[in-house]
Amino acid sequence: MRGSPILRLVLVAGALILLALPVWQLTLQTPSPIPAKPAAVAEDLADYRVILKSSGTARLQAMVANQPTVSSASGVENFEAVFSMSANEPEDIAVFADFVDRTRSSALRVSVEKGGEVLVEKTFWGTGVVEDVVEIPTK
Amino acid sequence: MMEGGEFAAVKILFFLMAMLAGASVRAGAEPIRVASLSTVMADLARDIGGDRVEVVEIVKPGMDPHIFEPSPGDYKTIANSRLLLASGLGFEGYLDKLRPVLEKSGVRLVVGGEVVKPIEGACEGHDHSEDHHHHGTADPHWWQSVSNVQLVARQIRDALIATDPEGQGTYEKNAAKLDARLEDLGKWVRLQIVQLPKKNRVLVTSHDALGYFAKDYGFEILPVQGISTSDQPSSQKVRDLIGRIQERGVKAIFAESIENPKVLGQITAETGAKPGGMIYADGLGSGETGTYDGMMRHNVTTIVEALK
Repeated sequence: MRGSPILRLVLVAGALILLALPVWQLTLQTPSPIPAKPAAVAEDLADYRVILKSSGTARLQAMVANQPTVSSASGVENFEAVFSMSANEPEDIAVFADFVDRTRSSALRVSVEKGGEVLVEKTFWGTGVVEDVVEIPTK
Repeated sequence: MMEGGEFAAVKILFFLMAMLAGASVRAGAEPIRVASLSTVMADLARDIGGDRVEVVEIVKPGMDPHIFEPSPGDYKTIANSRLLLASGLGFEGYLDKLRPVLEKSGVRLVVGGEVVKPIEGACEGHDHSEDHHHHGTADPHWWQSVSNVQLVARQIRDALIATDPEGQGTYEKNAAKLDARLEDLGKWVRLQIVQLPKKNRVLVTSHDALGYFAKDYGFEILPVQGISTSDQPSSQKVRDLIGRIQERGVKAIFAESIENPKVLGQITAETGAKPGGMIYADGLGSGETGTYDGMMRHNVTTIVEALK
């Protein structure tokens, strides 16, 4: 082959690039399409009022997952807490009473209301400490 | 004639001798031999029977009960027992083969699955072609619900009383204590699970063994295998599962004590969910998980910590 060596180099390189191009295109990984994220649906929240009544003086407490625990002072017989939760699928509520008199059988009455409607009422018994979980029925 | 004081002393002496004689008869009496195909029921029988029973575990902790087959030696052990405890609901596919041995030897069979309300339809949709056991359509892992275990504990108490009426007082007293402990355990589980938001209550496990637990505490189960450890997942099923795990934003995936966690490892790597730890699905382990109470506390703590 005659001509300038630089011209020959350019021609050979060009031919090689043309040959490699289809192979490169075949092996090129196209990024998979990112699945469209469903638009964040604003969760329908509602206020749930938890009313605790104890049979004797106690420190009363209510707890819901991912929310701060709400406690009364010690030596009360009534306590209320309000939790904002899903209107459709509310969390369960843990309730706790630490009675001043630790020798007698004691009771803790719990009722949960939403918009003035009583959703559930429960009474738990124990000696010294009463703790349990209240499930809010879903419609 | 004996004085009043002397007479009283003689009476006390006779009373003490009678008590000692009674105790020596009990001490010399053979304990009731109970064979068990379930590690959970063995634990219950030990609690209820106390020193009046000797529990022989045919299926021991750490064995895979799904693929267990009794040996000729096990048949002999069972034939020499007064009671045989089995989970039922098809968990022991060989139970029908054992029945003639039990009848011939006068062994009373106690099947836990007969007193619980089974979850039906659990077996649908998996391949039986290489199944080592032959369960029905019900989920046989009833011990994953504490309330089911309370029912089976009462069943074992009644079977022990029927076999050994003299021990009725002991069995009733021990069973009442056990029932109270199980009641406390059930409450403890509720108080742990309440810390988990409901949207986080998704369990990805090796095989579908936590149906009763899921039903009691509002979990959704995404199992890799079917109801038996011998059900192998197809690659399509694994792909679907990975999609569902990503869609639900599942935080952790759990391995089981007697499983090969290879497939779980692959799913964990592809979804970015973390390994949640080891749970005991098919029976008891050893050490702290060597009792029913210990096993449940371990499982619940592992699940709650990983999914919080």
